[in-house]
Amino acid sequence: MPEGAARELPVGPPAWRAALAIAGKDLRLEWRSRAVTVATVFFSAIVLVLLAFAVGANDAVLAEVGPGVLWVALAFAGVISSAQGYAAELEDGAFEQLLLYPVPRASIYLGKLLANWLYTAALGLLLLPTTALLYGLSVPVRGWPVLVATVALGTLGFALISTFYAALTSSLRARESLLPVLMFPVVVPILLAAVRATGATVRLDDLAAARDWLQLLTGFDLVYAVTCTAIFAYLTDE
Amino acid sequence: MTDTPAPPRPLWLNLLGAVTLLGLAVGAWLGLVVSPPDQNQGELIRIMYAHVSAAWVCFLAVILAAVFGMLYLWRGRAIDDVRAAAHAELALLFAGLTIVGGMTYSKPTLGAFWDWDPKLTLTALLFALLVGYFVVRALVDDRQRRGRVSAVVAIVVLASLPFNWMAAEWFRTIHPAKSFDVTAAGVQDTADPIFRWILLINVAVAALVYAWFALERIRIGRLELRAEAARDAGDASAPGEVVHV
Repeated sequence: MPEGAARELPVGPPAWRAALAIAGKDLRLEWRSRAVTVATVFFSAIVLVLLAFAVGANDAVLAEVGPGVLWVALAFAGVISSAQGYAAELEDGAFEQLLLYPVPRASIYLGKLLANWLYTAALGLLLLPTTALLYGLSVPVRGWPVLVATVALGTLGFALISTFYAALTSSLRARESLLPVLMFPVVVPILLAAVRATGATVRLDDLAAARDWLQLLTGFDLVYAVTCTAIFAYLTDE
Repeated sequence: MTDTPAPPRPLWLNLLGAVTLLGLAVGAWLGLVVSPPDQNQGELIRIMYAHVSAAWVCFLAVILAAVFGMLYLWRGRAIDDVRAAAHAELALLFAGLTIVGGMTYSKPTLGAFWDWDPKLTLTALLFALLVGYFVVRALVDDRQRRGRVSAVVAIVVLASLPFNWMAAEWFRTIHPAKSFDVTAAGVQDTADPIFRWILLINVAVAALVYAWFALERIRIGRLELRAEAARDAGDASAPGEVVHV
């Protein structure tokens, strides 16, 4: 995000403007501190290498598990990035100030969601070729748009749940371990559908199956976008 | 605070308990003695009577936990949170029983205690979700915030069920939506109607057990609320005084 854009307020209805402003603030904060980037990029790269060692040096097996490894690394990184998004707010009571703004609570959720999603989607696009390289996945040229769509929809699903629950766990004891406990059972369908769509694209070159899995991802994203936006206010109520 | 004694234990609750225990005995007798062995599953059909009943009641309990959570968000009455938690506790209990029953059935039929059977996988995910619900409850101290937060978690759990069902159903398939097994290996498909009747009676008995436990748990929760209110009042007026409840 260019820093010059910081002074201009986004356009649109007030609730949406507020969401965009919060997303811009989070992304700008990350651009300047790079706290999440340092934590997640190297962490997910280590996960990729570690799981390769765990699986063994069999080329066929590596290609088989590649899509799964990619999404496990993204799920772990998503936990870190969403938790960090609220950790920054908790310093000096910044989150309470955010809650005092006369905007709907849903705007706060949507703003933090947008920032978290853009961040994890970018990370996913970075990890995709890395995984293809390390695990020997051969991606057909016409498969790349499907893969990009899978990363976009899959990381949106992760971000929807992790941003939602991170708002809850950020104020609790044991938040580091609690967020994955709450988040992972909910995102199992996302993980499955994203892994299968990725696998169908890179291994089988079966784009029809990939599209079917993308439909499941889209349905999940829609239902949770509505549900989480509707009830987010109850999480932050004091 | 001590001048309003706890309400006496209602007679109908004892009657419900007695009927439930009698029903359990009848259900067990029907399932273990009266039911003939199934032509496909043999004696293993007897596990199904308990397993299927527990599974149905488990999902009913999850729905009710979310419904009372929503009622709490809407009306803000403490008793609705007590009700939601009572149903969630029973959902966790029956989910555990469902998993145990399913594994018992899975070992002799499929050769392994865990075979990623779709319905069992779904129940295991549900178990994990419910554990999360109670971890959150244990970590939030303020009663109102705990009620709101756990209602929100219960709603997310309910919303996740259809997707987890699809994920569990499609776990073994390359291609979703084209592999629906309409004739799932259940008791309902067997020829003799006696199996269905015995199953239905056992489901009803499980529902009775559930209703009895839920009502007992809500009664205890109500007494806890009273004790808490009395203690708060006591703290304000006479600090240090011991309150016997």
